[in-house]
Amino acid sequence: MFAIAGVSGSLGQAALLVGLVGAVFGMFASVVGTRQNDEKVLRLVPRFATLCVVATISAFACMEYAMITRDFSLAYVQKVGSRSTPALYNFTAVWSALEGSILMWMLILAAFTVTIAWKYKDKLTDPLVAWAMATMFFVSTFFFILTLGPANPFSKGAAGVLDGPGPNPLLQNHILVVFHPPILYLGYVGMTIPFAFAIGALITGRLGEGWLLETRRWALFSWGFLTFGIILGGWWSYEVLGWSGVWAWDPVENASFIPWLTGTAYIHSVLVQERRGMLRVWNLSLLIATFSLTILGTFLTRSGVLNSVHAFSESDIGPYLLTFFGVVVIVSVGLIGWRGEKLRSPGTIDSPISREGAFLANNVLFGIFAFVVLLGTVFPLIVEALQNRQLIVGEPFFDQLATPIGITLLVLMCIAPVLPWRKASGELLRHRLFWPAWAGLGALILSLFVGAVGLAPLLTFSLGGFAAGAALRQLALATRRQGFRGLVGRANGGMVVHIGVIVIAVALAASNSYTRSQELTLNLGSPAQYGGHSFEFVRFVEEKDDRRISVKAEILVDGSGTYAPAIQKFTNIGQNIGTPSVKSMFTKDIYLTLQPPVKVSTDQVKIKVFIKPLMMWMWIGGGLMAVGTLLSAFPGSRRRPTDPVSAPVAQEVSA
Amino acid sequence: MTSMFYQKLKSWPVWMFMGFLAVALLAVGAGRQSGPLTQEDRIDNINQRLACPTCDGESVYVSQAPAAQNIRNEVARQVASGQRTDDEVVAYVENSFGGQVLLVPRATGLDILVWVLPIAALVCCTAGLALTFRRWKREQGGQATDADRILVAQLLELDTHNTDTL
Repeated sequence: MFAIAGVSGSLGQAALLVGLVGAVFGMFASVVGTRQNDEKVLRLVPRFATLCVVATISAFACMEYAMITRDFSLAYVQKVGSRSTPALYNFTAVWSALEGSILMWMLILAAFTVTIAWKYKDKLTDPLVAWAMATMFFVSTFFFILTLGPANPFSKGAAGVLDGPGPNPLLQNHILVVFHPPILYLGYVGMTIPFAFAIGALITGRLGEGWLLETRRWALFSWGFLTFGIILGGWWSYEVLGWSGVWAWDPVENASFIPWLTGTAYIHSVLVQERRGMLRVWNLSLLIATFSLTILGTFLTRSGVLNSVHAFSESDIGPYLLTFFGVVVIVSVGLIGWRGEKLRSPGTIDSPISREGAFLANNVLFGIFAFVVLLGTVFPLIVEALQNRQLIVGEPFFDQLATPIGITLLVLMCIAPVLPWRKASGELLRHRLFWPAWAGLGALILSLFVGAVGLAPLLTFSLGGFAAGAALRQLALATRRQGFRGLVGRANGGMVVHIGVIVIAVALAASNSYTRSQELTLNLGSPAQYGGHSFEFVRFVEEKDDRRISVKAEILVDGSGTYAPAIQKFTNIGQNIGTPSVKSMFTKDIYLTLQPPVKVSTDQVKIKVFIKPLMMWMWIGGGLMAVGTLLSAFPGSRRRPTDPVSAPVAQEVSA
Repeated sequence: MTSMFYQKLKSWPVWMFMGFLAVALLAVGAGRQSGPLTQEDRIDNINQRLACPTCDGESVYVSQAPAAQNIRNEVARQVASGQRTDDEVVAYVENSFGGQVLLVPRATGLDILVWVLPIAALVCCTAGLALTFRRWKREQGGQATDADRILVAQLLELDTHNTDTL
């Protein structure tokens, strides 16, 4: 049998070492090759990238093998492995704690590096690409050092351990553990690619307008996965955490949201650069900020300085990440100071009431949003450092500030899509915004008619209608002119994303403002009423395996369907996990949780019922955002990327 | 004929009518009562303002930890007794459970920064943007600088040498 204790550990360790060597050599090959203009050396670059990815895949496979064979000689398997974990959750247990999640980061980073290296292997003679490759290898080197040092998944554990607790119960309880972390990481780690091209541009002092489009596309790719990953995270939270919410402004959630905000700012303002050749340095700065914030976020949440539901056990990874963050920021700021002037474009923006002006306002808002979330996340640290006292900055703080920012963004989404480049007159706006504004008024009347109250939600609904009108107007004009092609390309695909965002904003406003909840004590055979629905307790169902004991209460909602909120006790870990049960409808969700204590021997059960309007639209909006991102990745009928920006456009898409 | 009609329709008076209507409707909607708050709604509102003492930044409303369950029970008792307002229940829980149970920093001392800095950022960014637009406006009508002339001269020079590459 191959599973001699420790073999996969040694093999994995060796693989990571090979990877580190590959990354260091790859970095030197890129730098030396481009400095000496030596094509032979440059041709080695993709091979080193392949070496890195083969090494990481092997290391990851070793980890999986160790987990599947329950090789308890490894400290990591002792921590998250268990003989009683089912195969699927045992597979995902690899990324259920710090060391394994850094290994997955490394895997995705190596995969991106090799993709870039082979995709652009004929263009490596371009110094910009060579420096971008060197940057990718530099980041890889850092992560290989992490996996070999403070976050080593293959370090030996204590002798004589024969079984472990298994992963955190929340990570062996729902299928989304298979999808949410990898998809989120695809976006999070993917931000390295545009960052690498930004560094390449700064070092060469040359933007290479053709690369701009490639960079934008990679940024969009990563942004799309990050968006999708965040939405899946919200869905997961809703499905398992039992408080019926999707977002708690937890530090780890914030760590993914802050780079999302700066990334969103970038994918908007880069359009000004493509169109007018302006804001070059600003856009590079946004890419660098986005990448640095992924590292800072990882530091904040993985070093033990901040704690959260997602928190992993403490480790000494903190100083490494902080140093790396410092290096990235100092080098980037230095490069901008050195090269910025050379990249700067002399153009001016004529009027604030223009497409460019709207993108700038967008950047200000997203910048402030990112600042607010970062400030709220690190503020407890600042207070602790200065005054040595504990402080919590929680949901209400973020909600209070995010609401006005979100509403202002909606205002911008109403106006910006109809704005022409350069300058707009009042008359033009009156003309173009007329029907969208009526859509907004219609949405307001409709929401009053169905009983909506409160200024913030009503503003959200009416501005949502207005903004959706503006987006649909753009799509209608484009499809009338170009048929189905009017749905693709960044402007039109972007409008589909806008509609998704609006749908999510409306769903969030409705569900945050109008959720009603009630604890009900149900007796067998006598239904109770709440919120116009009846709830009838049918029976308890107990299930037991060697991993957990679960108690379900079967409930009929409005006399039909069996909804079974449950509580599971994970015996290895001694932790209770509630599992809600949800009846989803287009207008509202009925969300049931089982309330402890549960006495199976009685004929009585206590449940909590949440009635949440429009929840389903959150997921529909998420789907629209994903579709829209895909559509905007297809090139519309625009100039070829290699053409200069001054070349005529084949056909103007925006009116 | 129709275009004339549309032009009239989209004129200022119609827009102003729409604006007034929107403001009036918003005022109606914002002022209208959502029906009396039930006890459960009050409990949820209070729980959302309190931090679970053992679980790192989660609210009592969110957390499934036993400590949060205790506070939830206490809040439910307080609300059921009907003696205290929401603020008083929060203060009561803060006193009796000790430690840090408030989720939102108060606007005093150092803590005020968390409220002031976002506003300062907004003011700085808006002012910066306004100044930039003013500078841009000034530059538009501006004279060519020497650097511009040199640039043009260089490009013309380049042009005469490489006419075939264009």
